[in-house]
This record gives sequence, structure tokens and C-alpha cells, in this order.
Amino acid sequence: MDELLVGIVNLSWKHVAMWVVAGILIYLAIRHDYEPLLLLPIGFGAILTNIPFSSAVGHEGFLTRLLEIGIYSELFPVLIFIAIGAMCDFSPLIRRPIAMLFGAAAQFGIFATIVIAAMLGFNLKQAAAIGIIGAADGPTTIYVATRFAQDLLGPLSVAAYSYMALVPIIQPPVIKLLTTKEERLIRMEYEEQEPVSKTTLVLFPIMITLIAGIIAPISVALIGSLMFGNLIKVSGVVERLSQSAQNELANLVTLLLGITIGSTMSAEKFLVVEVGIVLGLGLVAFIFDTAGGVLFAKAVNLVVKKRINPMIGACGISAFPMSGRVVAKMALAEDPTNFIIMHAIGVNVAGQVCSVVAGGVVLALVK
Amino acid sequence: MTDTVQQAMSLMAIALPAMFAVILLFMGATALLHKTFPVKEEKAAQD
Repeated sequence: MDELLVGIVNLSWKHVAMWVVAGILIYLAIRHDYEPLLLLPIGFGAILTNIPFSSAVGHEGFLTRLLEIGIYSELFPVLIFIAIGAMCDFSPLIRRPIAMLFGAAAQFGIFATIVIAAMLGFNLKQAAAIGIIGAADGPTTIYVATRFAQDLLGPLSVAAYSYMALVPIIQPPVIKLLTTKEERLIRMEYEEQEPVSKTTLVLFPIMITLIAGIIAPISVALIGSLMFGNLIKVSGVVERLSQSAQNELANLVTLLLGITIGSTMSAEKFLVVEVGIVLGLGLVAFIFDTAGGVLFAKAVNLVVKKRINPMIGACGISAFPMSGRVVAKMALAEDPTNFIIMHAIGVNVAGQVCSVVAGGVVLALVK
Repeated sequence: MTDTVQQAMSLMAIALPAMFAVILLFMGATALLHKTFPVKEEKAAQD
């Protein structure tokens, strides 16, 4: 009889509080469609792990096994990168490589947040892992957190995916604060650009991997897997692999990644002040990223003849394609005939590459 | 200022320029690649 009551007897308010947290994640996923592919499994994983004596976690629990095999080994983030690479179209970036500068500027939030986190008492590795939320890129956040701050893996992942979903709420006020109406009305012409040859598309991922790998070998797993996924797509000779990477691999790993991340959200680890600070800092990272991109674009306008709409700087935060769409919509709201979607998406794609580069730089420099 | 804050600031001072340098390298290499292998020549070779 005692064995049947062991769950009830050991249930505490902390478990119930975590059920509420998990419920909020599941609610946001289902009701508001906020990153449902990740927040739904994360939420349910959090429920599984916050049942007293849950057999899903612990020495023989399948979630703990998945955590060791898939996350601590860095396997899941790398597989996700292959899938993302297979979904990416780098043509806009190749046609207009200058977009990468905006992508780089919009990584400012990562480094600003690292400094702020250090000021708040986190050690450098934890601060670096927190700052990487600003990469607005879930797998990069998980990858760096696995290396630098495994205890914070749950909150870091939740922050990264939640704020990515909240880009339409976070970015517009920051952009409006930093730009004038006149700037938001700037039109950007479409110049006829030469299409990208297949040779270029094939050589691009190889070249990026080689350059990044030679400069920062530690970044090879991140950038290499992203570029491998892209190579199998653009090569055109392994369509089956490309489709598998985009569909089966992406779906399967996402499913396991989410529920496994959820399993790290145990009440003892999650219901602490530190986690609240991490979530707050994640928001700070997104705000500084947006500000960095917009201010950089404004600075560029001081030296170029053809002015650019500074709002596109905000798309450099990655969070593809959400950020590009948000900015394009903002431009249309100011002037229904101002279409900047192509420019915004170009910068948004650049942001994807730059966020991985930023992750690689942080991995290389933080010892 | 604690050691960690100093380390974080040093990291920012080194990482930001380093990241821009890598990105500039990417930009240059990408532009070169795009110029070296234009679509026209590829089509002509196929024909």
C-alpha cells in the first residue's frame, strides 16, 4: 500500500509549481502557436520529470539516458544543425554578402549580456552560455550550454525558444524607440541581381566550413554540420538524404530534443532565483541584439549614398524567418507600398550564419 | 570590478572585432566565389 502512496506522500508545492510552468509552455505552444515544435515537448518533459520518483528520469530513466546520449554528447544539436542546413537557402546571402555585416552587428546582445551576467555574479562560462541566448538560435544555445553550463540547460533552452517565439512582441518597440518615422519610411530599391550558379552554391558551404574551421577549429561541429546539411541540399544528387534531413531527421530529433530538455527542468534546479535572472537576461540579449542591428544600420546610413531602412538591421538576430517578417510588416504598416521583405529576409539569413559564427567565437575564446 | 567582469569585458573587446573579421572574410570569399562562377559560364559549359 505504501508503494502506491509514495507519489502523493512525496509531492511538494515545488512539483505542482513546475506543473504550472509546464502547463504554461504547453498552453503557449497550443493556444498561441509559440514555437510549438519545441515548447510542447519541453513542457511535457518538465511534467514527466516533476512527478515524485518518476521512472522517466534518474539512473535508469529514459529521459536521463537521452540527456546523456543526445545532449551531453552534443549529438542532438549537431543533428538539428544538419536538418537546418538542409532547409536553408543561402542564395540571398551569396547575392548580397554585405547583409552579413548586419548579421554580425545584431550579435552585439550576446557580448553585452555576457558582461551584464558577469556583473550579476555568474562565472564566465555561465555568463557566456547566458549571453548565447542572444544568438536567437536554439541549437547554438543548447550546444554552448552543454559545454559551459549544464545546470542551466533547461532555463537557457526555454529562454532561447520562448524569446524567439516572442520576436513579434520584443522587436517592434525597440526598433520604434531607435528609429524615426522618416527612417522607417525609407524605401529600398530592388536591383536586378545575378542569380547564383550551382557551382557557387556547392562551393559556398565547403568554403565557409574551411574558413571557420581553420580560424576556430572548435566551431567545426556547429558550422560544419549546418553546412553539411546545406551541401546535401544544393548538390542536387542526394535528394533522398536532403528530404530525410529536412523532414524525418528534423522531426525525430526535435521530438527527442524537446522532451529531453524538459527533463532538465526539475523543481530543485528550476525554482531558484538564478533561473529568473537567466530568463531576464535572455530578454536583455534579444533587446541588445535588436538595438545593435538597428544602430549599425543607422551608422551605415551616415556613409552610404543610397540610404537603407535601418529596421532591416534588426533582422540580423537570426530567429529566421520570424524577424524578417516582423520588420517587413512594420515597413508596410508605416507605408503600405513599401516592400522591404527581400532585403529583410536576406539579412535574416545572414543572421543565421552570423549567430553560429558568434557561437564559435565564444566557444573558442572562453576557456 | 571583479575578475569575471574584467574577463567578460576583455572577451567582448576581443570577440566582437574577431567576429567582424571572420564575417568580412566570409563576405570577401563569397563575393569572389559568386564572381568566379557566374551562371552564364555555367550554362554555356552545359550547352
